[in-house]
Amino acid sequence: MNRSSKNNQQTSFELKTVLETSRMLVESRDPDFIINSLLLIIMGRLLVSKAAIFIFDPAQDCYCLKKSKGFDGLNEQQFYKIITRKEQQNVSYFTSDFVHPEFPQVISEPEKSIFINLRTSNNHHGFLLLAAKANNTPYRKEELEFAEALCIISTSALVNSQLFNELNNTYRNLDRRIHELNTLFDLSKEFNFLVDREKIASIFKFALLGQLFIRIFFLIYKNQDSYSLLAASGLSGKPTDKQLKTIFDAIKSDVVIPDSELLKQHSWIQKNKIASFISVSFQNEKVAVIGVGERANKIPFTENDYNFLKSLSNLAVISIQKTYFLDERIDKERMEEELSIAKSIQQGLMPDPIPQIEGIDLAAKTISSREVGGDYFDIAKSPDGNTIFSIADVTGKGVPAALLMANLQSMLHVLLPVDITLAEATDRINMIIFKNTPPDKFITFFWAKYVSTHKLLRYVNAGHNPPLLLRDQSEEFETLTQGGLLLGAMESIMPYEQADIQLNPNDVLVCHTDGVEEAMDEETDEEYGTERLKECIRKNRHKTSNEILEAIVEDVKRYSGNKLGDDLTLLILKASDSISE
Amino acid sequence: MKNFKIDHRTNNGLEVLDLHGELDAHTASQLEDALKQLISHKKSYIIVNFHQLEYIASAGLGVFMAYIEDVRSIGGDIKLTNMNDKVFNVFDLLGFPTLYDILEDEESAVNKFLKELS
Repeated sequence: MNRSSKNNQQTSFELKTVLETSRMLVESRDPDFIINSLLLIIMGRLLVSKAAIFIFDPAQDCYCLKKSKGFDGLNEQQFYKIITRKEQQNVSYFTSDFVHPEFPQVISEPEKSIFINLRTSNNHHGFLLLAAKANNTPYRKEELEFAEALCIISTSALVNSQLFNELNNTYRNLDRRIHELNTLFDLSKEFNFLVDREKIASIFKFALLGQLFIRIFFLIYKNQDSYSLLAASGLSGKPTDKQLKTIFDAIKSDVVIPDSELLKQHSWIQKNKIASFISVSFQNEKVAVIGVGERANKIPFTENDYNFLKSLSNLAVISIQKTYFLDERIDKERMEEELSIAKSIQQGLMPDPIPQIEGIDLAAKTISSREVGGDYFDIAKSPDGNTIFSIADVTGKGVPAALLMANLQSMLHVLLPVDITLAEATDRINMIIFKNTPPDKFITFFWAKYVSTHKLLRYVNAGHNPPLLLRDQSEEFETLTQGGLLLGAMESIMPYEQADIQLNPNDVLVCHTDGVEEAMDEETDEEYGTERLKECIRKNRHKTSNEILEAIVEDVKRYSGNKLGDDLTLLILKASDSISE
Repeated sequence: MKNFKIDHRTNNGLEVLDLHGELDAHTASQLEDALKQLISHKKSYIIVNFHQLEYIASAGLGVFMAYIEDVRSIGGDIKLTNMNDKVFNVFDLLGFPTLYDILEDEESAVNKFLKELS
């Protein structure tokens, strides 16, 4: 075979290799495969036993060793200085005696070893280092041309594969974001229909575990002053209430990555490998702390992950807060409903309508400032055929006062048929209330028996605002003060006293609770007081008891601008000027 | 919404859960219950067949995250099979193939389990 045909054969073989290689490399999207193939083909075709590929990193301004075969003392993924002058990036190749002096001394025959440029038509990407040929002959021109051609094709393939991977990454990131948004959207829809906070917390937990690819999770929610673990996954052991509180308090900003200080103080965090905390606040009040472990594949969380974590946490915590508000509203409504039932029971304890009493024009009314109150009046027949009137004011307001008032009412009705005097009965009531109520609860109480045959009023006043008696033709008031201490304050040491007064025609007796005198004029900060009450009675003395009562209520309401701070009760007796049949 | 349903059967003594329909935030708790029940009975060789599953949301994936360690700690595994492309893409996107055996079909999962057990 002559030389030229051998050359031709060689050339056509090399061309074929270049063609096949280029097809294979261009179709590949794997940079490692491309680099590896390039090395193997060239080493095989040119009989080289040592070769390496370096890729230029513009950020570091040096070269990263991607792949090395046969060289001792070169480490893959490490950075090396190769060129001394920028122009070396523009030449096809240079022998390694021109390499940077800091390049390791691993090349035995520098003048026979070469760096071939890895470049596309306009950019430099790195170098292929070929050591001297195994048979120690210098590289022939055709060999170098062949290597150069392969390098150009491979570099293009490499750039393409990088572009492809970048695109692919971008596409996957985009896909992830879309998936995150879908998760947020799905959960916001789902949470809207849920009122069960455990269920919300559980869905929140699973969505986070799935989306962030984590195993460890917990959610501490603070409601008023209690801390509860609403959901958890992968924790070793359940945290105590004290741990919940200390961890909750330790997280001071919206995203916290535990530092050594935090880990030192809270061994629980370390033990459970909590990687990040999120805290959720509404109106500057921290309401929830969420902890998550690291990702199962150890890839650190990105800014995007934290944003997602924050958004989803906010969404879940708002929904959980909503369930607490709903509970509160239900409780409040139930309470209101119960109070309105209590009110109707309380109203049933007082006489309605007001009974007709022979020889007496009678009116009585109580106005509660709340649903239920502590004011009380009663009118009842005694076994001897006479009438008992009573009026009382229990300390405090609302439900506790109403309970005591109901207690007093039942005692009165139990004692009514018993044949004892008013004073004795008052004694007994005092003892019972004293024994059965706390020392700060007591009752001011006035009651009287009207003996119609003698037009006589026998009364006991146990610490109640003295009823005002305005005699016919008189401008001055008498007060009914005989009796004793208020009920329930202490054991009866002195027996209660009873007193008798005569009721003559047109005498007006006004019994009231302190809600009347203590009604406030908010502007002057002055109470209605006894003098205004007396004046009002005097002005209306000629009217019926009912009209007098309404006049007083009207006057008090006007005075206080319709804002009654306390319960208000009036019981008015006016002796008739003739006995009507 | 397509109804979600789980059927439970055994294959060569291994537990198989067949998932149907759409596994989302709302239905994730059903899968949780099914896995919890298997674990409480110490049945830890679990194959989840996705053949009839049309859609999976993050919460559905979260259930697998929550229970894989429990199953592995008692010596078992959860292997996932027969996913359609859409469902696999979600698993792949969130990194699951690094932690889970995701196999082409149920038979491969059975063989793999039997090999691991022998």
